Amino acid sequence: MAAAQPVKAELRRDVTVWGSYMWGFADVGADTFVALGLVFAYAQGASPLAFLLAGTVYILIGLAYTELASAYPVAGGGQYFALRGLGDFWGFVSGAALILDYTIDIALFAYFAVTYFAHFVPALSEMTIALGPFHHVRIGLALATLALIAFLTWLNVRGMRESSLLNEVVGVLVILTETAIICMGLIFAWKPELLARQWSETFSSFDTGQFFYGASLAIISFVGLESISQAAQETRRPATVVPRTSVALIFTVFLFALSLSVLTLGMVDWRVFLDERNVGKSVTLVASGLPWIGPLAEDFVAVLAALVLTISANSGVMSVSRVAFSMSKFDFISSWFEHVHPRFRTPARTIVIFSAIGAIQVILASLTESAIDTLANMYAFGATLGYLLVMVSLIRLRFSDPYTPRPYRVPFNIALRRQGVTVHFPLLGLVGLIGVASIFVIVLLTHRIAAIAGPSWVALCFLYYAWYRRRRRLPVLRRVERDWESEQKAVLESAEEYDLLEQYRLALAERDRWYRRMAHSAERGLDS
Amino acid sequence: MMSPAEVHISWLGTLLALIFALSLGGLLWWMLHPPAPIGPAVARAFRGVSALKRILVPVKGTSYSDRAVELACRLGYDQQAEMILAYIIEVPLSLPLGTPLDQEEKKAREAIQRASEIVKLHGLKSIPVIERDRDVGRGVLRVVTDHDADLVVIGLNPRRVAAGDAVGKGIETILRRAGIEVIIDMVPEG
Repeated sequence: MAAAQPVKAELRRDVTVWGSYMWGFADVGADTFVALGLVFAYAQGASPLAFLLAGTVYILIGLAYTELASAYPVAGGGQYFALRGLGDFWGFVSGAALILDYTIDIALFAYFAVTYFAHFVPALSEMTIALGPFHHVRIGLALATLALIAFLTWLNVRGMRESSLLNEVVGVLVILTETAIICMGLIFAWKPELLARQWSETFSSFDTGQFFYGASLAIISFVGLESISQAAQETRRPATVVPRTSVALIFTVFLFALSLSVLTLGMVDWRVFLDERNVGKSVTLVASGLPWIGPLAEDFVAVLAALVLTISANSGVMSVSRVAFSMSKFDFISSWFEHVHPRFRTPARTIVIFSAIGAIQVILASLTESAIDTLANMYAFGATLGYLLVMVSLIRLRFSDPYTPRPYRVPFNIALRRQGVTVHFPLLGLVGLIGVASIFVIVLLTHRIAAIAGPSWVALCFLYYAWYRRRRRLPVLRRVERDWESEQKAVLESAEEYDLLEQYRLALAERDRWYRRMAHSAERGLDS
Repeated sequence: MMSPAEVHISWLGTLLALIFALSLGGLLWWMLHPPAPIGPAVARAFRGVSALKRILVPVKGTSYSDRAVELACRLGYDQQAEMILAYIIEVPLSLPLGTPLDQEEKKAREAIQRASEIVKLHGLKSIPVIERDRDVGRGVLRVVTDHDADLVVIGLNPRRVAAGDAVGKGIETILRRAGIEVIIDMVPEG
């Protein structure tokens, strides 16, 4: 069944190299403020190793995203890649995982922003109540988080113009501050002997389960690379720019996460992170240990962290609208979600509904023993499920669409000749797939809440998807035929990637010629 | 929580800080220096040449047709193009098309052999074709279609042009009707 492609307004391409990098950094850069204390609470002295393990898998995932985002520079990210590579059903599953991640992003980052803010108003963290069977509900933090989410929702519905300048200024401040903390800390405050002692203590009674749990949480330090893919449709010369900004983002975040964990282990006793209040302000704890500027740096980092985490929560509100738009465009969800508010010209329904889901997640998480841990569990589930589908799509698209030029290709490939065209099987893609599949299994095995709530979320979304597709008389499990070739040419043309456009046209002409030759040979065979 | 005044300098920490700063700075510098963009016409020209997978050279066993083979080999070297070396035996209308023309056929084989040696020097694959036709131009066009050629490279006799003659009816037919890119190579004598 051929589906008509709806006519849509083109997004203007005005995101620069630095803008594209900052778009990603505004999302991923805040992750370290969230993950550092959490990972230390579980992986203890082996935390740098947990970051290294998760970071290695993340690099492989990041390279896959880099290849796909530069080859298909359209909004939609992982959901679009899964749709192209695996078909409608998996495209929908990937979209559901992304929506889960973005709503958790709203909840988790808003919660952490409030936790860092509580550095100045300690009463917020201290305020706890008992609600029936739920003891020790941190009502102060929960209410403040709900207020922050309500504020962000209101801002976005009213059509707050996201200030890319603010994002860039805050992003630069975060990079400079983290660099200063790491360099100053390593030179003037880092004690190799403390690191060695904590390391050997951990390994003398090594708990494999705790370590892998920590490693699976460490993956959340790297969530957000998706945003560069989401921004690809608005980036100037995306095929040239996106590989550079993606690779730079992957390695800067990896460097920050690894260096901060090494620095922390040589400056702070990991046991302080057993107290959830410290988990929520881990980077300020490290900053407070800097000589000369410690107290000042502590307050500055707390303000900066609260700001960057709020921006990150806000980027969750905006990104979830983009994913919902993209899903609606491909008939995964109703076009009701595309409705634009007549007065404010914003996707008000999407913003309110998904922010409300984020708020519900905060309420439910606050009822559990550790709200942070619960939200991080769900975040890890959504991220690893989405990443898993992206890795499968990378491999599948190498075979199903070898014609689309790939300005960046994940290295280490085996060249195979198939139907007159050379197909490159990605060995590193396979390693990445195994890595992310392992982390996904670990998340399911070790995160009790994620193992139940995560699949339940996907199942709930599937029920809606199946109902909607049947109502629209579209296949539920099969794919809808689409003219990807014309779309790809239009995308490359609008992106002004003329060199890639020529490569693509020539590859298609070569394919058509191969089919003609085959048909000709077959005819000759029949004649003789 | 540790005291903010405590200073502890180690060579390992300093080294790690240096590695960190250099790696971060290098990464951001690399990211901010992407290659310059190219326009649609440049892209078409650049990719157009690299897309030439089958190059047809009409050979005659002369020095200028040898030069055309050499030129074609250089154009096709990067993409390892196949060289179609075509010799068209022009059969006069007064003779049946299948008439044995031993002398002409021997000349054709020798011209193709000579051209194949040039192709072999470049390590490329050659496809020898000997065709009979009433008209050379039409014969070349048939080879273009049958062998799916992307480009025709023709060596032109400079003496003929110097004498004030037209470039030839066959070449004009190819230029008008080939439907693919045609390169005519002529080196002035002297």
